[in-house]
Amino acid sequence: MTEQKMIPPNTLMAFGAVGGLVGVYLAYFFAPANPIFVVFGALGAVFAAVWGADAVRRIASYGLGTGVPSIGMLALGMGIIAVLFSLALGIGAGGPIVAFIVSCAIGAIIGIISVKILGMTIPIMVSATTEIAGAGALLILGLGIVIAGSLDYAIFVKEVVTTGFIMMIYIAGGMAMLHPHNSNLGPDETQDRLLALSAEKAGIAVVLSGFASVAGMGAVVITVLIGIIIWYYYFGKYYGFVKRDAYKVVDTGLLPTEEEMQ
Amino acid sequence: MIDIVGLIAPNIFWILAIVIGGTLISISVHFISVGGAPAAMAQATGIGTGTVMLAAGAGIAGIIAAGAVMDLNQNFGVVLGAGGVGAMVMLAATMIVATWIYAYGVGVMPVSAKVKYDPITKYRQDLYVSQGTEGHGIPTVAFVSSLLGGLLGGIGAALAYYALMKVGTYAYSGVTPLEVHNLNLVGVVATFTIGFFFINSVIPSYNIVGTIEGFHDPKFKRWPKAAVASFIASIPLGIVAVIAVGALAFAGGL
Amino acid sequence: MEPLISMGVLALIGAAATIAGASEDLESDVGSQSNANSQVQLAPQMGYIHRIYNKAIAGEPVSNGMMCTIGATGALVLIKHFGFSPLFALVIGALIAAMVHGSYSVTAIMGREASQARFKQPIYLDLIRSHTPVIMAFAFLTTFSVEVVSYLMVYSLAHPFPFVLLSFLWGIVVGSVGSATGDVHLGAERQFQQQPFGEGLNASQSGSIVRKGESGLRNGIDNLWFCSKFGGPMTGVSFGMVVFLGTWIILVFDPKNGVVDGWLSNLLGVVIVIVLGVWNWHIEKETREKYGPFKEDKGEEVSA
Repeated sequence: MTEQKMIPPNTLMAFGAVGGLVGVYLAYFFAPANPIFVVFGALGAVFAAVWGADAVRRIASYGLGTGVPSIGMLALGMGIIAVLFSLALGIGAGGPIVAFIVSCAIGAIIGIISVKILGMTIPIMVSATTEIAGAGALLILGLGIVIAGSLDYAIFVKEVVTTGFIMMIYIAGGMAMLHPHNSNLGPDETQDRLLALSAEKAGIAVVLSGFASVAGMGAVVITVLIGIIIWYYYFGKYYGFVKRDAYKVVDTGLLPTEEEMQ
Repeated sequence: MIDIVGLIAPNIFWILAIVIGGTLISISVHFISVGGAPAAMAQATGIGTGTVMLAAGAGIAGIIAAGAVMDLNQNFGVVLGAGGVGAMVMLAATMIVATWIYAYGVGVMPVSAKVKYDPITKYRQDLYVSQGTEGHGIPTVAFVSSLLGGLLGGIGAALAYYALMKVGTYAYSGVTPLEVHNLNLVGVVATFTIGFFFINSVIPSYNIVGTIEGFHDPKFKRWPKAAVASFIASIPLGIVAVIAVGALAFAGGL
Repeated sequence: MEPLISMGVLALIGAAATIAGASEDLESDVGSQSNANSQVQLAPQMGYIHRIYNKAIAGEPVSNGMMCTIGATGALVLIKHFGFSPLFALVIGALIAAMVHGSYSVTAIMGREASQARFKQPIYLDLIRSHTPVIMAFAFLTTFSVEVVSYLMVYSLAHPFPFVLLSFLWGIVVGSVGSATGDVHLGAERQFQQQPFGEGLNASQSGSIVRKGESGLRNGIDNLWFCSKFGGPMTGVSFGMVVFLGTWIILVFDPKNGVVDGWLSNLLGVVIVIVLGVWNWHIEKETREKYGPFKEDKGEEVSA
């Protein structure tokens, strides 16, 4: 399916980074006025997940020598450390952007180390590791603000870390990045199908974060609702792409016959 | 804005401990005998799963044990030992059951294809490798090597956990020191340790590329590269972690 | 807590862990996940179109970690925000996790098989409809058991980690135990039953999985039937051992009583590890003697 036109990496990067940061900041500034605005954080996380999934797709297609899941775990591992550090600094509105930058820096360091010391030959290693780290940080910020209703370190620690919900963000967010590539692996993989799947899985993460939110009933209802809508819409889209790409989708049947296999 | 210098200065030693912990985790992954996907088809020697995930499974069992013991007894050696032993028990229980399945479910004996004689039991290996495979099962040398890996990885993870707990419970000037049972502290430190562990187990897996049988595998010689890589990567991570955990202590545990 | 009551709780934890391990492995056998799935993935490329579920959600540790975390999240929210009783909340949490897991399974098989269009692998919807509920049922069982393990550990044995975090950790461990043990029975034996017993899979036979069943075409449920006789229960024993022994050593010698007890508990762990190691060596010796070598020794003098 090479005739498919692809969304270039830079467009997706801009889409994810800007969308994610704008979402987080909208939630950050408007949530004190009315907690239902944390839903922007959830939308930002969806943007970040789609961007991250594309970055995982690009880097994992080179063959890392280890499973796709590892890279998702790496991304969110870098994100978690960067986010907790930046919120701990107590610099108010500077927190999210610093978290994003610190995460990208950690990603770049690990990418450079992989190339220079471990001698990995993947050309996009540094840039892609930086991207997944940034996307990981935005995912944690976006879903974290949904749960805590705020990015204040004290509230964030109490409501997201001490309860352990951060692990739900870690794994559900990480899955939104790594599952699309892992489950679309194969020669006929297409980018639009993969990205639709990423948005669908991010929708599930949004529903779960919304359900765990302490920002008030309004925030819970609206985030869960938005999450379900995202999930439903993109599941339909994904299924459409599957039907388009698959050899055939049958209700039931035997294996293809000899003639068919020719 | 918090006092970063005031946080880092008394904790230089613990930052070093975290960095050493990361390096140990990185080295440990090379010891663990991992056959990857082929091992699940009895096509390669080692445990039938991927490097990162097996190391993570073992290290996490170590973190769970170290966390439980840290709550009861803050002795440095005991906590580190608990981490190492927790990881070793996890690997030993996994490997013995895997051996049952290889021996009784698949009908193959444990054998290595990388060496002619097992360095520990001195058993001849090459004759026992079935055709078209790279060995199968977990022979004694791989078992011992994996245990060493579990020990190192568990100790590394426990060291990082212990160091961060010490950073959190340090008596900073003008602040009541936190208790080791403080739930916020435990949550933040455990979260950091897990993130840190995953990063330091992915780095060596880039170095190993696929499967490794243990210390007798020629690939094992690559470990210094991963150790250096993890050492360098752990320095910024250690500083960042110390600041975040220290900020929690400054805030009085919130 | 009284040592005797702790031991009782630990026994319960061990039992729950054993169930978790067994259902984890069977869940991955129905859907074919993790390492053994590499052959299911490879088969169409070698011209072997099949009717076996191809559930490549992620590695087993990650996908199990996910469902256990989601289950624990759901349960904790229900307990904290809605005042549900823990047992009820754990069940509903596991149900939420099973539903999410089902959605992941469906997108995984659809994605993988759509990406194999050029090998003419069709997507059989009846396969998805019949297998997904089974997968969800096992996912429910695993999640619920791991939640019970974590819940008892946190609230009865006073483990300091948060409940959700501990569920996440045990989820990763159960996945990594399951993919290291039970999957071998599926991958090395069930998928290649037409190959001679007592050999590893010859690399030249890769992808040539059994596609026909006792009657009709083989599917994941047939694999489940076979693996539930050995691989699944063994995985249960393995995870049960991991959870039980790891906790038992610090209950027998409680590190709270001082440094000496702390070291004794570590020493006990080392003894267990050595015993298991000797057992492994013993099986190695026994199988070498009984099964014999595959090749004659040509280089050196011929042995009898």
